[in-house]
Amino acid sequence: MTAHFVDLLDALRRRSLRMAQLVEEVVREACEAVFQADVEKAKRVVQRDNDVDREEVEVESDVIRLLALYQPVGSDLRLLCTVLKVNNDLERIADCAVNVAERARHVDARSLAGPYEDLRQMGPIVVHMLHNAVKAYGSQVVDDAQRVLLEEDAVDALYGQIIRRLVAEASASPAKIASFLDVLSVAKNLERIADHATNIAEDVVFVCTGEIVRHRMH
Amino acid sequence: MVNVMENEPESPARDSARSFVHVPNPRKPGDRPTPSSECVIRTEQLSIYYGSFAAVREVTLEIPSHRVTAIIGPSGCGKSTLLRAMNRMNDFVPSSTVKGKLFYRGDDIYRPGFDPVELRLRIGMVFQKPNPFPKSIYKNVAWGAAINGYQGNLEELVERALQQAALWDEVKDKLQDSAYALSGGQQQRLCIARAIALQPDVLLMDEPCSALDPIATAYIEDLIDKLKSQYTVVLVTHNMQQAARVSDRTAFMYIGELIEVNDTNVMFTKPGNKRTQDYITGRFG
Repeated sequence: MTAHFVDLLDALRRRSLRMAQLVEEVVREACEAVFQADVEKAKRVVQRDNDVDREEVEVESDVIRLLALYQPVGSDLRLLCTVLKVNNDLERIADCAVNVAERARHVDARSLAGPYEDLRQMGPIVVHMLHNAVKAYGSQVVDDAQRVLLEEDAVDALYGQIIRRLVAEASASPAKIASFLDVLSVAKNLERIADHATNIAEDVVFVCTGEIVRHRMH
Repeated sequence: MVNVMENEPESPARDSARSFVHVPNPRKPGDRPTPSSECVIRTEQLSIYYGSFAAVREVTLEIPSHRVTAIIGPSGCGKSTLLRAMNRMNDFVPSSTVKGKLFYRGDDIYRPGFDPVELRLRIGMVFQKPNPFPKSIYKNVAWGAAINGYQGNLEELVERALQQAALWDEVKDKLQDSAYALSGGQQQRLCIARAIALQPDVLLMDEPCSALDPIATAYIEDLIDKLKSQYTVVLVTHNMQQAARVSDRTAFMYIGELIEVNDTNVMFTKPGNKRTQDYITGRFG
């Protein structure tokens, strides 16, 4: 029975990890869609979000089933709680990716030189951050997770810079208000993805050590 | 320093009879429970042998007042032996010897001249299988106090004990019926009522639910939670979920050694020792 549970737990962990890798690809594709104004790629992001949604429900059902049938404790309990929380973060990340991709249809942000350049810097950092969070989730190594937490400040700084530039330029160019909102939307969703990546890294610290490091200064 | 001492020879017949009959210094109504931080029982480097076999090895453990302390561990790890040492029930095993110290409220209970009968009146015990006397429900609870010359109102004592054991409502109209007519779960609660009628300080419970169904187990677990406001409870259990549900502190033993003791919520979420982790997650061995 215990060996069976260990097998089921390992299968669930691998399934959650595959979902994380799918979400990582979706985010990368969403960034490409918006920065290359690739509408077809944006459509694919929306389709793949449906796959993520289905997988989220399946993983959650599996977690509930294992909790109910095996009443795990210790590291097994921490892992199941983490899978459940990461599952929620992944689904939210995919939703943010869809929001980013949808801007590909009508973004005219290139006319906003300053904010757009900041946005172009922000995209790869967020993708890299998510990649490291998923890597840490797979390896369950605290040091990998800590590296993700250190990257969050860079994203926050860029997001703040974009907001300041938009505020400064919006009053001077009211005709470009739609472009300002597009840039703001993409920036906001990228910042949210970085937040979710941070959550995943914090959950990796929890599963490894039992310490809840959320809401602490990193 | 480790003290080596043989158990005191004693008449089992006298001992087993007196342990149910005397009511020493009953706690008066209105007496305040002792602070929870107070240590009621403390072992220091305690080892217990059956012949040359060390069933318990150099265990140092504190049992805090008005808390439920669970002792868990695989079969043969020494948890029941340790529990029985706390009221010197191991004295009945001729080959058992004790090294080290075991203090009850600061007094070394294995020192020469210590009266184990008095001790067992302060530290009651509930066993794995319900073992009511072949008497009525009423007499099961009243007998110990009655033959010991209890001066108070015996009927009130019986009612109070049965209420504390969460059994009164089920038996109040059939107190003269045989205790054997009760279900297993009711018999176990009757045994708890019998133990607390003597108004002990500590209740030792050796797998009290292992012979009960889930409903009766839930009754006993609820009862244990209520009892800790008035008594200090030490619980030996094989059921780790039960230890997690009802205890405040958990001690894990393995091959006679105390591996880890901590708050129960810590033990079942982030145990400090790998052997504890392996045991509670079922990966042991």
